[in-house]
Amino acid sequence: MNQQSSLIEKIKSFPKKFVLGVYHLILKVIHGIGNFFKNIYLAAKLHPKSFISGLLSFFVMGLGQLRNKQWYKAIPFFVIFLLFIIFEFATSGYIFALGGELQQYPPEDGILYFFRDYGGFITSGIWGFFTLGKLVLGDFYRGERIVTYDRIFTWKSADNSQVLLGEGIIAVVLVAILLITWIFSIRDAYRTHRDFVVENKVESAQVFIKRVWTDYFAYIIIIPSAILIFMFTLIPFLFSFLVAFTNWTERISLGQMLFKWTFFDTFKMVFTNSAWLKFFFDVLSWTLFYAFMSSVTVYVLGFIQAMIIESKYVVAKKFWRTILILPWAIPGIISLMLFRNVFADNGGLMNQILASGGWTESVKVFLRSIGLVGQLDTQVGLGNILWLTSPQNGGLAKLLVIVVNLWLGYPYFMMLITGVLGTIPESLYEAAEIDGANAPQKFNYITLPMVLRATAPVIITTFTFNFNNFGAIYFLTSGGPGYPLEQIPETVRVLGAQPGQTDILISWIYKLSFGSANDQYNLASVYSILIFVFIGLAAIYNLSKLKSFWEED
Amino acid sequence: MEKVLYKMPFKAKVNRFFRTLTFKKFILGLLAQLWLLLMVLIVLTPVVWMISASFTRGTTLESVPVYPRFSEWTLANYRYLFTYTSSTEAGALPDYVQTFLTTLTIATATMILVVIFSSLVGFSFSRYKFKGKKQVLLSMMALQMFPSFMGMLALFMFFRQFGLLNKPLALAMIYVAGSIPYNTFIVRGFMRNIPKSLDEAAFIDGATNLQTLFMIIIPLAVPIMGFIAVNAFMGPWLDYILPSVIMPQRLTVAVWLFRLMDPLGSTYEPITFMAGALFITIPIMIVQIFMQRYLVYGLTSGADKG
Repeated sequence: MNQQSSLIEKIKSFPKKFVLGVYHLILKVIHGIGNFFKNIYLAAKLHPKSFISGLLSFFVMGLGQLRNKQWYKAIPFFVIFLLFIIFEFATSGYIFALGGELQQYPPEDGILYFFRDYGGFITSGIWGFFTLGKLVLGDFYRGERIVTYDRIFTWKSADNSQVLLGEGIIAVVLVAILLITWIFSIRDAYRTHRDFVVENKVESAQVFIKRVWTDYFAYIIIIPSAILIFMFTLIPFLFSFLVAFTNWTERISLGQMLFKWTFFDTFKMVFTNSAWLKFFFDVLSWTLFYAFMSSVTVYVLGFIQAMIIESKYVVAKKFWRTILILPWAIPGIISLMLFRNVFADNGGLMNQILASGGWTESVKVFLRSIGLVGQLDTQVGLGNILWLTSPQNGGLAKLLVIVVNLWLGYPYFMMLITGVLGTIPESLYEAAEIDGANAPQKFNYITLPMVLRATAPVIITTFTFNFNNFGAIYFLTSGGPGYPLEQIPETVRVLGAQPGQTDILISWIYKLSFGSANDQYNLASVYSILIFVFIGLAAIYNLSKLKSFWEED
Repeated sequence: MEKVLYKMPFKAKVNRFFRTLTFKKFILGLLAQLWLLLMVLIVLTPVVWMISASFTRGTTLESVPVYPRFSEWTLANYRYLFTYTSSTEAGALPDYVQTFLTTLTIATATMILVVIFSSLVGFSFSRYKFKGKKQVLLSMMALQMFPSFMGMLALFMFFRQFGLLNKPLALAMIYVAGSIPYNTFIVRGFMRNIPKSLDEAAFIDGATNLQTLFMIIIPLAVPIMGFIAVNAFMGPWLDYILPSVIMPQRLTVAVWLFRLMDPLGSTYEPITFMAGALFITIPIMIVQIFMQRYLVYGLTSGADKG
């Protein structure tokens, strides 16, 4: 009662808190910027001689360190600085520009086209990031008609937004790295000089290197991993995230390699276009249902099995346990593909068993009577039951997805709960027996609460895992069967990006991005962001419950 | 739970069982055994069918009998698997052996790099306090929430641009980067339980950070590194999406198997699939059963509920 009302209060006060939080964040940022300039002003005023060191590093990275007579710092800074400059020039066409190739530029964008044609990786990357390209095949540019995609003579080439966005992100990241190093170098030049003046503190090369190696060891051993994660995880994610704010699909499907920043248009489309909205809610509700049902069934069966095997009435416990664990030991992807064969239309084990016993018709009649098999199935099926492939039998396919997941998933919980049961002290049960409790009471008041408490985080993890359980759907049904044709809105049918009846969000996203349709990358990206928000919230909630995560080491 | 000090001999157990047998116990026991028998039947039927199919002569599922006929079993499918050579036409299936070796390369490279990188990062996070540690941990958690193949589109584009498509080692790098966050949590959880007094003693004896890591922590952390190594090694065998995009020409085992499963595709060979799948399943199954005892550990490490 009390808890409930406090929860409601929490929810009610959330918007206010959120607005306040944003307000404080903005204040903090403004304050931070103000402080930054104030500190520079103070530095110049209080230690003008040290300020000169900083200023030197501001113009050429490493120069201030050289003035401080710290060559061992000056060299690495200067090398980084030089590398960036060489990289920019080596990838640019500045030399052609100086050689008199500069010509008339389209007046409306003026100098910006200069970077398109002659800029190095960094400048042209930034140009590409902001504009996403301007020219398509057939445009008239600098006196010629553009006929090719040319990676070397860029001014003769049409623009490809995908490439420009990719290179643009890399360029922006490089610039950010350069800027951070630069600020670091300025600060270091100033502080070292100031410490020298104020405290007369000097550090020799040896001492410096040794100090860095011991004090920053924690950072140094992380760096290789950080670079890997940056290159292979972070930048690709950033790319996919940004694609949500473009009109990729629309323009690429017109045969151009050009798209634009459209900011929130795709989000707006997803939530206002009735066809997409219908699919989204169909898929979302099935995803939630699937995630919930598959987690609960797996948990309950695992619990039952653990209780039965551990009960005192069962002999040969180890034998049962070893065999019943088998589905866990077989890799999931193999089991799923095996079940695809088991439920195959022609020659699948299930249909064979039914046929050999002569049960096919009666099972079909039964399934039809409870609505899992559609009325049209007899005409299509040639006597076999179409377990996973008929648009009429969507309900059956959905049921089977959950059942197969149960087969795959219960051993894990069986083992887990067996482990937990072992940790419940025997004395609790003895005390209950003395108090006259019967078996159901012992279960209700001792076993169930103990097991639930111990496995609560795992239940949430399982739910989020199943929410994104791509394999369970893709390898078993590939999202099929499709919706009956009459249920698909005309507009979406043309695009060919509709989900199947067993598609969960994640497998639909896969279809949207790598399916046979025109690649719906921006839609896929929008849905990914929505999943991310949903799963992220659940995960953060789960995480906040884990004390050990927040514990300081 | 109290540790059992005295282990009852089997004969005594049987005797006790019959001595204490009551009618109620008999009925309940029978019901429980029957239920377990039913479950075992459900569990084993598809598996037995799969084994039987892999030894069946024929190319379609119809030729696999419901009840296995051992007298008709043949090794033909396995022989075909290892002697089959790919034709040069587009869309043809490559050799199983070559596919197997490609996957082995990826798995080995991934294993070595994952162990090195995640033990370094785990060490750093379990032993040092530094600025931004919490933020890094949190953002690593957040990264894991994002559907992993959303980055794939970009990876495909970058790889195409830099000529890295169909390169096993490049794919291994993606696996390594992807598994560092999760493994870091596991290693961190394990290393936190190694007493800090060991480090301090080493520090007093004049050991450097590097020496502490290699001579004290790593020898103690061998079990968890073994756990990570096995996991990292098994991952690439069973991953489908990433290799199907990044390695369109050089298939890995999972992609190869899935190609055989598409009834509408030109390479629909369900019986060959059964043999090929069984061949990689058995070693993985053995490893899995061996690793059973680590299961609950891997689940709770680094995140035991407070």
